[in-house]
Amino acid sequence: MPEITIKDLSLRDYNLTDRVKNLKSAYFRAMPEICIERPTLITRFHLENGLFDKERIFILDKAKAYRFTLENRTPVVRHDRSYEKGMVPFKIKDTSLFAGSTTGKFKGVPLYPEFLALALWPELWTITKRKNNPFYLSEEDAKELNYNIFPHWMENTIQELSRKKYHPNEMKTFERLVFFLASKPNCISHTLPDFSKAVKKGLRAVINEAKDRRGVAKDDSQRKFYSAIAEALEGIIAYSRNLSKKAQEMADKETDPVLKKELFDIAKINNRVPEFPAQTFREGLTTVWICWTAIHLENPNVGMSLGRLDQVLCDLYRYDIEKGVITIAEAIELICCLWLKIGDHVPTIPDAGEQLFGGTGSNQAITIGGVDKDGRDAVNDLTYIMLRATEIMQLRDPNLNARYYPGVSLKGYLKRLCEVNVNTGATPALHNDKAVIKALTSKGEGIEQARDYGVIGCVEPGSNGRAYGHTGAILLNLTSALDLTLFNGRHRHTGMDLLISKETGDPTKFNTFDEFKNAFAEQSRWLVEQSSALNNIFGRIHQDFYPTPVLSALFEGPMEKGKDVIQGGAVINSSGATIIGLADVADSLSAIQKVVFEERGISFAELLDALNKNFEGYEALQKRLMNPDKTPKYGNEEPAADENVRWIIDMLDKSFGEKENYRGGHYRVGYWTMTNHAGFGRLMKAMPNGRKAHENFTSGITPVSAVTPVLTKALNSIAKQPVQCLSNGVALNLKYTPENGKGRDKMLENFAASVRAYFDGADGEIDSGNGGMEIQFNITTHDTFADAVAHPEKYPELLVRVSGYTAYFKDLNPQMQKEIIDRTEYLLSSGRAVDFEPFPLRE
Amino acid sequence: MASRLKRTLLNPISYILPDSGGNFITRLFSKSLQEELFGKITDKFLEILLYGMDFGFCISKGFRKNILVPAGCKQGENFKGRYLFMTADNLVSASAVFNDGNMTVYKEEIADWNVRITFKNAAALRAFLFSKNQDILNSLLANEVEVDGNLNYIYKFGFMARDLSRRLGVG
Repeated sequence: MPEITIKDLSLRDYNLTDRVKNLKSAYFRAMPEICIERPTLITRFHLENGLFDKERIFILDKAKAYRFTLENRTPVVRHDRSYEKGMVPFKIKDTSLFAGSTTGKFKGVPLYPEFLALALWPELWTITKRKNNPFYLSEEDAKELNYNIFPHWMENTIQELSRKKYHPNEMKTFERLVFFLASKPNCISHTLPDFSKAVKKGLRAVINEAKDRRGVAKDDSQRKFYSAIAEALEGIIAYSRNLSKKAQEMADKETDPVLKKELFDIAKINNRVPEFPAQTFREGLTTVWICWTAIHLENPNVGMSLGRLDQVLCDLYRYDIEKGVITIAEAIELICCLWLKIGDHVPTIPDAGEQLFGGTGSNQAITIGGVDKDGRDAVNDLTYIMLRATEIMQLRDPNLNARYYPGVSLKGYLKRLCEVNVNTGATPALHNDKAVIKALTSKGEGIEQARDYGVIGCVEPGSNGRAYGHTGAILLNLTSALDLTLFNGRHRHTGMDLLISKETGDPTKFNTFDEFKNAFAEQSRWLVEQSSALNNIFGRIHQDFYPTPVLSALFEGPMEKGKDVIQGGAVINSSGATIIGLADVADSLSAIQKVVFEERGISFAELLDALNKNFEGYEALQKRLMNPDKTPKYGNEEPAADENVRWIIDMLDKSFGEKENYRGGHYRVGYWTMTNHAGFGRLMKAMPNGRKAHENFTSGITPVSAVTPVLTKALNSIAKQPVQCLSNGVALNLKYTPENGKGRDKMLENFAASVRAYFDGADGEIDSGNGGMEIQFNITTHDTFADAVAHPEKYPELLVRVSGYTAYFKDLNPQMQKEIIDRTEYLLSSGRAVDFEPFPLRE
Repeated sequence: MASRLKRTLLNPISYILPDSGGNFITRLFSKSLQEELFGKITDKFLEILLYGMDFGFCISKGFRKNILVPAGCKQGENFKGRYLFMTADNLVSASAVFNDGNMTVYKEEIADWNVRITFKNAAALRAFLFSKNQDILNSLLANEVEVDGNLNYIYKFGFMARDLSRRLGVG
């Protein structure tokens, strides 16, 4: 167990330095700007090398494209201006301790024409002024995209290449948008590289290893792969050296001695790393940062995650502290600067995407704490340094995730995690090591691999740098499976005239609940088949046109196998699906079971009529269906309701689990919804659980809002669910009322106790490996949220947990804001839900 | 035939006019399109839009750039695209074919389209292409428009339609 040398775990004497304050202020002032440097360079390379005309693009060609782009991108050491609200330019005094950026802008929007950037085409003239999350785009750059970049990609996006080559029927289901979303047309992401090798050995050593392996490669494919690794890494080294040269030039001209030294330091560090092993903590951070920017050059950042940085960098930190190279204050400042750099870009989202994903950052998860490969407590000084930096920065990216192992992690650690949640209002998310490790080993991972998991994107666990899982490959709207069941293969969104899936029987003719359940299972399996088949098609197109040498260089497996991660090069090769609408569907099943089949209170025909009329004329029925005293609800320890949840989870795990992906691995299932529960909710009609048309669904694995009055019952219901069927992660979203003043200490104790109880599980046995997997919080009052809706300008930094990731409340669309405000809020001192009226939806 | 005649007459004029002049003339001769974009929408919306675009391509060299190989570009060719628009009840259909730097409008269905857009009604199509707070995906979400084929052609068409409305001073 690493020795904790920090005396005060809260590190409360360390605050934002002037440097960080200034950078943070500029960060919040800056509007995102679209950067066209990457698409310009990539398009140029494709044109000059005839890549658009090829039947297949090999990894070596792609690696050369990335090397070309890395060598030719502008090395920005200091940003000097950005745009603020109203798109007015302002000057920045950039004194970050790290050079370089994801794009050429201070806060950039990178574009990937290979993926979904073309969806922005109609908005090029208006995107600067759009209502939700506008992006600055100069007229000159808009013209460049319209005339010189986008046209070349019209036949060459992943989605179009897939359509042309395979003509998949599943594409039509996907394009109807209401059944499932598949994210491969937008990225290979939601995965977790490992920086240990880059930090400890340096990229030159990796290049040399690739060259050695090329010498003994067994075929041309392997030779090309190893050459590609060397090409891509040479590009990364060149970029860092270009930054070094630029910093040196600037230092030579700088007259301020302090700034001059800072620039010299950057020049020196970037000249050494990531090419050679990092010798200091700062060099280690710089290695991570430069490699991180290169990863984003290859792929859009959608849940790309950084892994266990407190483990990767711990030795360098301790060495520097012991030798007096840095102080704790300097280490915190470095982490703060890195956190800001990590958040220097926002995802490319078209206007409609704002409806589904509005306000999302890139969901770059960082994992701290937990146990090491041998099962020993791995929490170290750097864990607390990162917690403190997160606490004082309060940024949405990176998305901090803390691992906690009941019985192994120390009590003071859990209390500190709770305290940071109270102080930030929303972070970090907490993960139960025992349950997660059990979930991963149940899918065949070795115990050491499972113990070394990091969190990906929102909440998904993956073995650090070994598991290529694309955990967000499929987002499946389970409520659509219910709709298809209720209407015999039709869906109310697409109309009753259109048979979407298959007829599983007219439910008005079903005699038992089991008949209905079987029909629902069949419709669910149809959706699983559709979504996994399409994901596999997209995956194969990625293999043919979109090799990933940069990512492969930072994974365990590809080097040994001589194979790209997207060809199955990683050690573990799963794919991930996440389910939207679990609680709403489960409660609907329970309502049908109880009201239609057991009590025979109404006929199925009447229920359908009520749903079609959005409960107009059926107000009493709707009230009854919503009432937890009259209709069983998940989250109240009601056996029938909890059993329906368990049955769904088991059925989906089996259905997805038997599907093989395009890399020879299998699918895993999780329950985290980002903002999709609000987005899909907007499209869906009334449901048997009493939910009216267009209302939000419930997030993640959380029970439906306002029907679970007792906190312990809610936690127990969730903790009972089988973790081995939840291996792609879950998000349990809870809202606690902040208690200040005298009640604060007591609240922290209750807070920690509630987490411990949830992680131990209903059986209270911490060794069972059961218990809840994950929990995350919003610790903000209903009134504060309501005020933030009315006066967003007063709350620019109000941080919230959505369903997995953190976001700024002001950036969320009205539907998503309402969903967060309406979540069940518990007062910890009583353990009961607080009463409040549902928040009205703003137009 | 009419299109060819129009091009023969108008293209030479466009070359001697500044871009703003081309926009001005387009605006002058596109009153009905401006009304359709701004005011009450009629069943003629699609036809008026397509002919408006056709006219714009003829008279405005700035607008025409959208379908030409970029100046100085050694590779590539003028935009080629075949669009079929129709209503779900099959009562309205029209096609637009881009080839060799020109646009030709047909009042009937064409084969071998790159993309087929099936829309509920004229208002849905207008919302699909022009509405301020909507974009193409949003209309798909609302299930008012269905697209078959290459979505990227729709994105390009969406830009061109909005570019025209901008030149008309209504974008």
